[in-house]
Amino acid sequence: MKHISWLGVGFLTPALLIVGFLFFAPVVMTAVFSFTNMSTATGISGGDYLLSPNNLDEMQAHGVSQKTLDALADTTYQVDDHGLLLLAQEFGTEIANELKERHNNDIFKNRGELERALKDMKHRIRSPRDRKKAADLFGTSILNQRFTSKVDFITAVIQTGAVQADIPAVTSVAYTGWQWTTNNFKRLFSLPATWRYALNTLAYVTLTLVFNIGFGLFLAISTFYMPEGFANTFRTIWFLPRILPPVLYVLMWKWFTWDTGFLSTILAPLGIPAQNWMMQTSTHAWVTIILINGSVGASLGMILFSSAIRSIPASMLHASEVDGASRFQQIRHIILPQLRWPILFLTSYETLSLLASFEHILLTTDGGPGKSTEVWALAAFHTALRNYSGNLQYGYGAAFALILVAIGIAASLVYMRLFNFRDLVSKPRIER
Amino acid sequence: MNRTQLYSSAIAAAMLSLAAAPAFAEDYTISVWAGGTNPPDAYRLEAIEMAADMLEREYALEGKELNIQVEKRRDFGGWDQFKQAFTLAAEAGKAPNIAVTSHLDIAPWAQAGYIVPIEDYIDIDSWPTNNIYPNLISIARLGNVQWGIPQDSESRPMFFWRDTMRKIGYSDAQIDALPERVATGDYTLHDVLEDAKKAVNAGIVEKGYGFYPRVSNGPDYAQFYQSFGGKLVDPETGKLLLDRKSMTDFYQFFVDCVNAGVTRRNHIGTEWNQWYNEVSHGKAAIWHGGTWHYARYIKEGNEDFFGTIQFSLIPKGNKDEGRPNTITHPLVYLLAKQGDEDTLEIAAKLIKIASEPRINALHAIKSAHLGISPLEQDIDFYANDRWAREATARLLPYANAQPNNQKYGQFSQIMWKGLEAAWGGIKSPEDAVAEVEQEMKAALGDDLIIR
Amino acid sequence: MPIQSRNFKAAPMIILLSLLSLPLLIMCFYLIVDTITNTQPGTLIPDEITFEHWRFLWQTTENSSANIWRVTLNTFVFSITTATTILAISLTAGYALSRLNIPFRRFFLSGLIMLHAFPTITLIIAIFLILQTLGLYDSLIGVIMVKSALELPFGIWIMKGFYDNVPWEIEMAGVQDGASRFTVWRKLVLPQVQPGMMALLVFSFLTAWSELVLPLVLAPGNKSQVLSVYLATMLADESSIDFNLMKSVGLFYVIPVIITYMIFQRKLMNIYGGGTKG
Repeated sequence: MKHISWLGVGFLTPALLIVGFLFFAPVVMTAVFSFTNMSTATGISGGDYLLSPNNLDEMQAHGVSQKTLDALADTTYQVDDHGLLLLAQEFGTEIANELKERHNNDIFKNRGELERALKDMKHRIRSPRDRKKAADLFGTSILNQRFTSKVDFITAVIQTGAVQADIPAVTSVAYTGWQWTTNNFKRLFSLPATWRYALNTLAYVTLTLVFNIGFGLFLAISTFYMPEGFANTFRTIWFLPRILPPVLYVLMWKWFTWDTGFLSTILAPLGIPAQNWMMQTSTHAWVTIILINGSVGASLGMILFSSAIRSIPASMLHASEVDGASRFQQIRHIILPQLRWPILFLTSYETLSLLASFEHILLTTDGGPGKSTEVWALAAFHTALRNYSGNLQYGYGAAFALILVAIGIAASLVYMRLFNFRDLVSKPRIER
Repeated sequence: MNRTQLYSSAIAAAMLSLAAAPAFAEDYTISVWAGGTNPPDAYRLEAIEMAADMLEREYALEGKELNIQVEKRRDFGGWDQFKQAFTLAAEAGKAPNIAVTSHLDIAPWAQAGYIVPIEDYIDIDSWPTNNIYPNLISIARLGNVQWGIPQDSESRPMFFWRDTMRKIGYSDAQIDALPERVATGDYTLHDVLEDAKKAVNAGIVEKGYGFYPRVSNGPDYAQFYQSFGGKLVDPETGKLLLDRKSMTDFYQFFVDCVNAGVTRRNHIGTEWNQWYNEVSHGKAAIWHGGTWHYARYIKEGNEDFFGTIQFSLIPKGNKDEGRPNTITHPLVYLLAKQGDEDTLEIAAKLIKIASEPRINALHAIKSAHLGISPLEQDIDFYANDRWAREATARLLPYANAQPNNQKYGQFSQIMWKGLEAAWGGIKSPEDAVAEVEQEMKAALGDDLIIR
Repeated sequence: MPIQSRNFKAAPMIILLSLLSLPLLIMCFYLIVDTITNTQPGTLIPDEITFEHWRFLWQTTENSSANIWRVTLNTFVFSITTATTILAISLTAGYALSRLNIPFRRFFLSGLIMLHAFPTITLIIAIFLILQTLGLYDSLIGVIMVKSALELPFGIWIMKGFYDNVPWEIEMAGVQDGASRFTVWRKLVLPQVQPGMMALLVFSFLTAWSELVLPLVLAPGNKSQVLSVYLATMLADESSIDFNLMKSVGLFYVIPVIITYMIFQRKLMNIYGGGTKG
């Protein structure tokens, strides 16, 4: 490369920026997340420092000394001169004097008790919020207080009288954010459920693909032999699964298979009880998702194969006619060989799309009944973002995602070889 | 005083009163999101609106002009979407001011810093929060901190279709006595299975409709674990508890139901709409659900609840273990963390006012939930409602809540997955429990005790 | 079709295919009929005509508090902006990769192919974090950026394909006349790839219009809601299922798709079919 085209660099920059920022960076971040215990409770963007009474047992297990534990567990509030002085400054001398009069040197078991005392006074502080603030002037307990900065937290811990040596352990227990771990992958590989999802995915991809290709071929070939008008009508109809938004497409299927829907209604006179034809058994569910996803893919196959068939020279077909070839012979010996590459292409393209896709399943069965249609990508989504208990395990979900990413990259490399990558990236035609 | 003087003093007075008028009005927009809230539960949101009106009036009497705009939202398409939306919004600092959600969210959301304790902004010890059932308000506490205020209470009973029970040999008196027998432990889950079998074998209900459980994950299933003696937390350490034997027995019960043909193997994932319609009209012999189902059954066209359906606690597992029980899973009002302390205070005050017995009774009656404070029983409107009265008396004394533990969500999710595997016949109950144990160890680590 | 022969009888095929197409046709037929009629349970023949299922157009329904017109406007803004963004960036980047000498070209191209078939949706947590940092969570701009970024590898690849097919003599002539590469691109090359531009624009518009998961997770609020989320929320509502209402919303939602489809049918078949040849 002799000359770098700066125009080219400029032309490429916007794409690089947006793809790099919102596509490539997320890939890297997903890899990073998969080595953390990030979840709802830890938050995504970092943590604070917070000790709650429940943490005290945990700290004991971490070998924190009893002295520190006692210091931290101390939630007493004492009315002393220091506090009274501050109270007078912030809330007026009257109230400080009254408190001193009635409760000087009294010790309160916790903040609540002191607040109650403050409320009972003649010069009461009216707002509960201010009473809290006032009460806080008399105590050093840091339990249930949130610190956003580590330094502040450590300072506060020292003030309670904790032993210096315990501070790292205390800090680590108090930290609410996520931490590094390799447990996600250990967990993933040790659990039988993982393998079930993998098997489901394998079954889903294979069966859907077979349907895609088979039905796509059938559509392409059968319409090829039809009068123009019919062919176009059928192509238009079978293009619909591809073009209709998934939500609507699934809605139509739901109505069709609902227990009060089309199938149940039309079968009722035959004595077949109304049932949900989508969810009744896992077989129903599997058939439905394969039909739904399969017909979307078949639309693509139909278009792809149709244009490939059309590019077969008419003379070849005529010649076979003259030779008296039957319909099947013609398909088998002329058309199918011509479709080798489109079939191979569709297989590889759809494998990757199906591996990563879950939109239709999410809307259709949501992995049910009984997790029987839970595929890998959907499991990742459920784990990380959507489950009944709202327990979003971003880290563990990212581990799921990362495996898909790895498979995707590996498969792309294979496909690039298969489809002769060198041709695809051949040098630009015009160089200055 | 001559006319001019009068005139000018009038002007002065007018000006004075102008000066005394508030210098500027305080405007607040309070957004409220409610999860799992269907049209009958709309008072969860409307109560905040009513409270806003009340608070504005109170402020007006103190000479302050307060304008509160309440933005309500409940259309989330299910709990999973609601929790995801709240969590991500909170993470991005765009959370609503008030969330109405499960008390189980307190632990994770508190640690993540998404919510702030309500006790920092209102006085819990005064009316009406001091009148809430003590065991109920404690469900919204964690680590000695009052994080939220219970919004309703409920519990999850076993339901029996009277007609089917009659056909398998129960007299009306026996059906009426059933709740008592369940409460004393005389009628167990074993009997549930036997009766369901009778109903199916006699052809009174279709195969798979003898015992017709909830179709998706929910607190209901922890009840069956408790029925077989399981405890969710270890009372001494406060850690989550996996009792292998109880868990196995609990799974085994559902597997037995499937094997006996009284429950469908692929029952989980049945559409809710279909399920409600079926149980409301006696298609199932025995099933379990929530107190609020009462409203739904009526909406589905069952006009005579008490004449067609009997309800009781969830029976104990078998004669010599466990206890009859029911789980209450109240929703709570939580305050989402915001930058502005004044807005937080207003939101907290609204929650407090919304907890007024009279306002809460509206929700209880409309949605067939139970009230939050004993004084609601003194409100005619509430006391006249047979369902509220009987359900409260029969169920609430035995009700317990699930623990506010940061990792309980994972615990219950894994428990559910195990049940699904056993139920669907993918694993034997023993193997399912072994997998549950393995997965719980991996997910919960030190926070779990295995027995 | 080119071949009509005594050897092949079309009729049986037509009948078979008609039968196979029947479920799909029934679904479409009732999608339209059910929006303006009521049918008693247990039958399939409507017994009254009504417009109540379209009430979502003038009032909020039980299932959604969002304003349908706001939502519709959002959907248009989202889809049109996304489509134009994808087109604009693909136009320049595709040209650079097709014709210009840039460093790491091979690397970019292979990256493009790899990203083209990528489990994008699994990246959503990381994407959320980026949007949140930018303050763009729950905003239309945020989802537009994300959707554009995820569709770009495909768009660039398509545009590169169209540029590759432009006869290079055209450019050569321009360059030899002393015009700058930029002028050549703008004046001579762009007109050549106009069919491609149109196809990519329409394609991207439809993809954005159909997108569900990204807006569902990244912009769920009422102010930035789009129609797919609006309908999916109704579909997920377990308290009531009103197929007539949902079908009306669905029909309303799909009208722009159908119109676009009717106008651009041929072009679309081209890009869905030929476009993915890369």
